[in-house]
Amino acid sequence: MQVPPSAGMDTFPQLLIRNARDWGDRPAYREKDLGIWQSWTWREVLDEVRKLSLGLKSLGCKEGDKVAVIGANRPHLYWVFAAVQALGGVPIPVYSDSVAEEIAYVLGHAEVRFAVVEDQEQVDKLLEMSEKLPQLEHIIYEDPKGLRDYDHTRLHRYLSVQAAGQALLDTDEQTANEWFEAVKAGKPEDVAVILYTSGTTGRPKGVMLSFNNLIVAVQNANEFDNLDENADTVAYLPMAWVGDHVFSYAQCITAGYCVNCPEGPETVLIDRKEIAPTYMFAPPRVFEGMLTHIMVRMEDASKMKKKLFDYFLDYANQVGERILNGDKVSLFARMKYAVGEFCVYGPLKNEMGFSRVRVAYTAGEAIGPEIFKFYRSIGLNLKQLYGQTESSVFITSQPDGQIYADTVGVPMPDVEVKIADSGEVMYRSPGAFLGYYKNDDATKDTKTEEGWVHTGDAGIFLENGHLKIIDRAKDVGKLTDGSMFAPKYIENKLKFFPNIKEVVTFGNERDYVCAFVNIDLVAVGNWAERNNIAYASYQELAAHPEVYKTIQSHVDQVNKDLSQEPVMAGAQIKRFLVLHKELDPDDGELTRTQKVRRNFVAERYAPLIEAFYTGETSKHVVTEVVFEDGRQGTIEATVEIRDMDTYRTDAMSAIGEAAE
Amino acid sequence: METLYSVFIDPFVQMFELPDFFLQVLWEGLVSGVLYSLIALGFVLIFKSSRIFNFAQGIMVVFAALSLVGLHSFLVPYVGNEFVAAAIAMPLTLGIMYALAMGVERMVLRPLVGQPDIILFMATIGITMFLIGFGEFVFGGENKVMITEALGIPTGSIEFEPFGGFLLLEEKDVFAVVMAIVLVISLLVFLNKSAMGRAIRALGDDHTAALSVGISLSTIWVLVWFIAGVIALATGIVWGARAGVSFALEVIAYKALPVLMLGGLESVSGAIIGGIAIGLLEKIFEIYWGQPLFGGNTETWFAFIFALIVLLFRPQGLFGEKIIERV
Amino acid sequence: MTVMDPTLEEVKRRAEEREVLLDLENVSLSFGGVKAITNISFNIKKGEIRAIIGPNGAGKTSMLNVINGFYQPQEGVITFNGERRSSMKPHLAVSQGIARTFQNVALFKGMSTLDNIMAGRATRMKRNMVWQMLYWGPAQREEIEHRKKVEEIIDFLEIQHIRRTPVGTLPYGLQKRVELARALAMEPELLLLDEPMAGMNLEEKEDMSRFILDVNDQLGTTIALIEHDMGVVMDLSDRVVVLDYGRKIADGVPDEVQSNQEVIDAYLGLSH
Repeated sequence: MQVPPSAGMDTFPQLLIRNARDWGDRPAYREKDLGIWQSWTWREVLDEVRKLSLGLKSLGCKEGDKVAVIGANRPHLYWVFAAVQALGGVPIPVYSDSVAEEIAYVLGHAEVRFAVVEDQEQVDKLLEMSEKLPQLEHIIYEDPKGLRDYDHTRLHRYLSVQAAGQALLDTDEQTANEWFEAVKAGKPEDVAVILYTSGTTGRPKGVMLSFNNLIVAVQNANEFDNLDENADTVAYLPMAWVGDHVFSYAQCITAGYCVNCPEGPETVLIDRKEIAPTYMFAPPRVFEGMLTHIMVRMEDASKMKKKLFDYFLDYANQVGERILNGDKVSLFARMKYAVGEFCVYGPLKNEMGFSRVRVAYTAGEAIGPEIFKFYRSIGLNLKQLYGQTESSVFITSQPDGQIYADTVGVPMPDVEVKIADSGEVMYRSPGAFLGYYKNDDATKDTKTEEGWVHTGDAGIFLENGHLKIIDRAKDVGKLTDGSMFAPKYIENKLKFFPNIKEVVTFGNERDYVCAFVNIDLVAVGNWAERNNIAYASYQELAAHPEVYKTIQSHVDQVNKDLSQEPVMAGAQIKRFLVLHKELDPDDGELTRTQKVRRNFVAERYAPLIEAFYTGETSKHVVTEVVFEDGRQGTIEATVEIRDMDTYRTDAMSAIGEAAE
Repeated sequence: METLYSVFIDPFVQMFELPDFFLQVLWEGLVSGVLYSLIALGFVLIFKSSRIFNFAQGIMVVFAALSLVGLHSFLVPYVGNEFVAAAIAMPLTLGIMYALAMGVERMVLRPLVGQPDIILFMATIGITMFLIGFGEFVFGGENKVMITEALGIPTGSIEFEPFGGFLLLEEKDVFAVVMAIVLVISLLVFLNKSAMGRAIRALGDDHTAALSVGISLSTIWVLVWFIAGVIALATGIVWGARAGVSFALEVIAYKALPVLMLGGLESVSGAIIGGIAIGLLEKIFEIYWGQPLFGGNTETWFAFIFALIVLLFRPQGLFGEKIIERV
Repeated sequence: MTVMDPTLEEVKRRAEEREVLLDLENVSLSFGGVKAITNISFNIKKGEIRAIIGPNGAGKTSMLNVINGFYQPQEGVITFNGERRSSMKPHLAVSQGIARTFQNVALFKGMSTLDNIMAGRATRMKRNMVWQMLYWGPAQREEIEHRKKVEEIIDFLEIQHIRRTPVGTLPYGLQKRVELARALAMEPELLLLDEPMAGMNLEEKEDMSRFILDVNDQLGTTIALIEHDMGVVMDLSDRVVVLDYGRKIADGVPDEVQSNQEVIDAYLGLSH
């Protein structure tokens, strides 16, 4: 195709045209399909997008129309964004693992007219909900598997929509020009995308981000980390999440780098190894999972291998981070580290697909300091950033060489950050959102007249200028004795133990702090196997006395740690229990992004919480659960509650000694 | 004290002082090692695909070499040219090995399907006896000379002067090593990349499953025995070039036994590495320990003793899967 | 898009209309005087899912072994695709279009998933042995063709993530799926499944049921399956034949069989 002349650089379709012109033969998107990596250059992507865009137009899609995008990370779905934006419409990516009702709410609220989905599963959900979605006119699907016999009056195959677009181009020479003019007419202040946040409470809210929001924010980020068209990244996180929208679409188009889509969620590890991305993002749980996986595998390795592994990891722990930070390190140490790189770190990074990574980010949750340090010590430039949907991701980030496990870095260029009197972190930035879609009240509550946005997080600035996030602002409470209770802070400390997957603590306006613990089935199961502990179910393993003993020792360690911190010392854990079931998004206990819905959990397990504060040592509970197939059922268990010793703070114990 | 000295110190001093000689020893060891590997590979292939320990592997070496030499001497008067005769005799011999494979499959393996392993083993002894008798009947029992030159195998030697010393490589040994390596690599590529190779591996892995996907036992058996025949021919040529063609050549097959003890009957890589290891070690032992301490001739038994000692410590062999007793 | 449950008559009529793929007539099989199958007749029609059920030792697996040529029945006539069968070998059955899976998975445990499925193409490799060994080009091109087909199956059964994993290390449920994939690689007309859900948990059973239906529906493969989970049998199958002590005691659509008194006595009654 003929690449049109410059159309400006204010919107993503405009940038796409620039990319097709400047980097026409460079790969833009790759996808592994039927075992082979297919790739599309920027020129080809522009062609695909234009065909799709015109096809959608012929179906009636026009300026201001909302188009839902539902599915896993597929190049064809990313192209929908640009295709819709080119027509002046607004794409709305939706979490594909949501149940039909959740999807229906978002589509209904946004008055979506078109939905582009991945496969039969999503088509079924939409058809099931079609009565509630009168304004939904057309459904376009990418994978035709199983859809052959469906009624196709309002159902279209992606390829046939593109073919319709191509037909327009072929019959009318003006079509291409008109499309180009429409793209050129796009303005930076237009709404680029609406991202629905899967909030921990209440209905999801639609965050409207303009082209300007996204483009300025990601341009700053690209400069901050020197990202250009040579980067490679793997798209595997939900498309509806702002992070993926930024990393795999906004940032990719702005910098011109290549996005690689794995075959499926299960093949991410293998595919990442094959691609070896240079830029990557993963939430802490992914890094945790990979580390656990490696450690489990090393348990089965030969003695020789294990020794070598332990020896060099230990050495990396001593010098690795200093080398990565560019500190002064002796030549001998560098050489020894190089040997380690050859024998251990290199193969390890290769195995995880990190061998070419220049910048890796983690965010969303606090990462365990041990885990963070492990990856940095083997030479992975892992950094933390802080952001949210409303800020187009980037609020603060760690500059190269200034990395601390417990901070989220310094404010990004053009971003102002302040701590409100309430302790809440607030920011003002070019990336700050336009508002919530059809929800002015919420917008007013969140964004002040002067443009300051409430993050909802409580945090403090450290002396080095780095921001440290403590907890959700609304979750920070007080015990009856007045000491500060920051549940997340305590929970994260516990979650850093590999045996513990999830923790929920209680204590606001109570006498003392109590905790629900979820064990990590992989880590604990493996441990059980090695120690010949038989178990038939999660429930049985969770209730095992040996498991309780291990968890108790972890809780004890956390209490010791807390006693060292003057502000937190009052909130040591007095009582805990190991929960008889895994917290599960299907039961509504977690959000789709795996965050605990605290209030819901408190309500659901009210009898257990009551038992905490009445002093009972065990409690029989019956819990309703939803199985994978959607059937309801119950599980019952008698859950043991254990008491813990608490420690006095150093200051207090010093006083105590003096008094004797 | 003196014994200790000659066991623990003297050999190493010698290796160090006469490095060129040490290299010579290594080379000799390598040459016999690759040949052991080849033969062991013949055993392994047949065992993997049919659970038969093929006692006849040794005699197949002799039979192949005899056929080649016999056919050649029969053909020379007709075609009048050594090389042309060899060029005709070679494919004919391959044809004979293929016919042998077919014959074995049709007359021994197929009727005996389902019989205990030991019966099949004894049947291969029967094949051995038959081949000895048949070979003597057709080609006569006297020693023959391998048609080295007619086959174009170089016979000169290459000299090096490493470390200011002297190293002599016989060209036919170099040929043997190169041929063995080429053969082994093509065999590995064949096994791992081609559909037939995959079928052979499949059959070795699970019999029932192989049958259920339509892999035909007869086809694979013929193929595997034919490959064993080709290996036998190759071994026969190079070993015959070194030591002449006679029924005594059969003994070389028994050199493969310790290799199998070491490498395991089912491991292709075990056969290759085990063969080379045994070739090297027995030569080194012979020169530095065997001759001074035992008056030589340790090569006949060293490999067995070595394999036994290894098995004491690693019952599964060097490359076998760990044996886990399931309760 | 709900479909009304068809009436019993309707189901029976549909079954009647189908063409017969495999027909067994008075088949008997014995091992040294012990009768495993006695005088059994039934047929399998094109495009249907046919279940063979019965208590342990009823002769179900022997029945499958007869169909795919592992066993030779002493008596009876077997007709496949209109052709009367004389002597039978498993690899002949495969080339005629009969593939199967086993009660206790029979996979090549040391080989990767991909190699296992590729092995399923053994009889579809057209180049003969000599070509395979000597002439690299065409054999290689053919290999690529087969690989494409195999990748489609991998995609169909959603096992991309274990493509390179040795199957011996896979969990049982996935092994069963690989075995199904290997059977599908043979592009069979008739697929025999011997307890496809044995030893699976609920979720795995559901996955497997879905795959079986998809295979039947989208690939048009006729399926005969042995299964113990009655729920699965009743949900999946078009027609059911019930064996007991090597004899046929009932044959019909699931509803019929379920209400057959002899079946209830012999089988359902015992297990519930």
